[in-house]
Amino acid sequence: MRDTSRPVPFARASRAVFDLALEGMVWSRRSLLMAVLLGLPIVFAIVYRVVLAAHIPPRVTPFDLYGAVVVFYYLRNVLPLAALFYASALIADEVEGKTLTYLLTRPVRREAILAGKFAAYVATTLSLALPAVVVTFFILLTSRGRVGLGGAVPDLLRDLGVLALALLAYGALFTLLGVLLKRPVIPGLLFLFVWELIANLPGYLPRFTLTAYLRSLVRHRPAEEGISEIFGQVLPAALCLEVLAGAIIVCLAAAAWIFSTREYVMDQ
Amino acid sequence: MTATLEFVRASRWYGQVIALNDVTTAIGPGVTGLLGPNGAGKSTFLKLAAGQLAPSQGEVKMLGKPAWGSPELFHRVGLCPEADAFWEQLTGLQFLIGLLRLTGYDEAECRQRAENALHEVALLDAKDRKIGGYSKGMRQRVKLAQTLAHDPEVLLLDEPVSGMDPVNRRHIVDLVRRLGRAGRTVVVSSHILHEVEAMTRRVLLIHNGRILAEGDVREIRDLMDEHPHTVALRARDTRALARAVVGLPHVISLTFGAEGEWLTVQTARPDELYGNLAAAAEEAGVSEMYSPDENLESVFRYLVAG
Repeated sequence: MRDTSRPVPFARASRAVFDLALEGMVWSRRSLLMAVLLGLPIVFAIVYRVVLAAHIPPRVTPFDLYGAVVVFYYLRNVLPLAALFYASALIADEVEGKTLTYLLTRPVRREAILAGKFAAYVATTLSLALPAVVVTFFILLTSRGRVGLGGAVPDLLRDLGVLALALLAYGALFTLLGVLLKRPVIPGLLFLFVWELIANLPGYLPRFTLTAYLRSLVRHRPAEEGISEIFGQVLPAALCLEVLAGAIIVCLAAAAWIFSTREYVMDQ
Repeated sequence: MTATLEFVRASRWYGQVIALNDVTTAIGPGVTGLLGPNGAGKSTFLKLAAGQLAPSQGEVKMLGKPAWGSPELFHRVGLCPEADAFWEQLTGLQFLIGLLRLTGYDEAECRQRAENALHEVALLDAKDRKIGGYSKGMRQRVKLAQTLAHDPEVLLLDEPVSGMDPVNRRHIVDLVRRLGRAGRTVVVSSHILHEVEAMTRRVLLIHNGRILAEGDVREIRDLMDEHPHTVALRARDTRALARAVVGLPHVISLTFGAEGEWLTVQTARPDELYGNLAAAAEEAGVSEMYSPDENLESVFRYLVAG
């Protein structure tokens, strides 16, 4: 029996919004573009395996290449971009399409709408990104036989966790930007490709970026050489997890508060 | 009359622009027409009633609660917005089921209610077609169906028959009247007097953000008849339509629109014209019909001038 004196329970309302949002998100042009971008390393891995493997010096292992793909391609560029383009549009798309009215005229708390849409974003991006990483991993790491493959699987699992955390953290931040600003894409790009660069500086400043915490959690980089040299400092894992979890909670809570108190005037 | 919807000295402005100015009114069960030219403040009135906007000043109460910030009201209130906006990739049935789930019904009841609502607006046959492929009239009807599906006590309808063909317009007008007779509170906005008159006699006249008058539509009708009334029709065969109406004594002029798709008829007796159109419209394949509101504007100018 429905209780019509209260809004629909939060979890039930979020689930209904999630289902409604997922349909539109998965089958969108945005997802097609993201699928292409996220799948590019698979193409690279195949080309490497078929053509390049014989020409690359043996000291550069397939595992190194996989590590570079994870850190420089996924973690530093494509996943933050995916987060920007999906999460900043969670509410903005509904406002632009004037469909937000349908959601706001249901007996649901606005926070539940935002939670459902954020969950749909996470499900969509994870289902696009993680399989691409797994496929890339196996194509690259089996290019010279299966030696050492078993030992690298824990690193793969850890990478998947960090990438998921990256989607959550950047997603929460860009959800906040999306409800705060009318045009969040340019500030988002500036954040990603200007502000986040300070993660490469020495000292305390990198702690004001997300990327410094995320890349510190990636374990499989070589200890003393190669890409680790340009990593800058590595922060303690516990601190990274605490800061990232805090950032996610604060950004989502602020976004929910703004969304629940703001008027949305859909022009006719 | 028990008031379902109350405005108490409610005003709303956007920056420097006053959209609604010091409005006090109470609306109870039955159908109430909200009549005014474009830009009069009708949509702002409905958005305030539906809790989509907060009043800048004064109070707006729906079913005894503040309309703004009371989402639980939407168990009992339905809004049909004016904007022609949808998630185009969904079918009509998916659209309704998705929104009904947000009202807290279980899956089986959502489906049942969605099909009932689509049947109510004569869209059941098209339930599995994507909304992106619906005609303008079908889109209007599916929008109305989402308003009805959860069986609300209060229905706020913003230009609900805009763009519909004459047959469906008749169907929706009958539906609105039936809802009013069943004791629902229905507020229908329109800038077309004839449209509102077909649904109710009780009107609120709104102009420049103020309620000019409340009461019986017949008084407005008497004024209205002194002004020519324009009806624009989109048809497959506009020339056949023109042949059917050109001989009618109340028709003042006929104009063909660009590419021959539209016919604009000016008449001194809109009632008679709408009556005469019923048969001719079907033969000529009329798919859309609307009435520009210059004539209503002139009536309002007359009222304002006193």
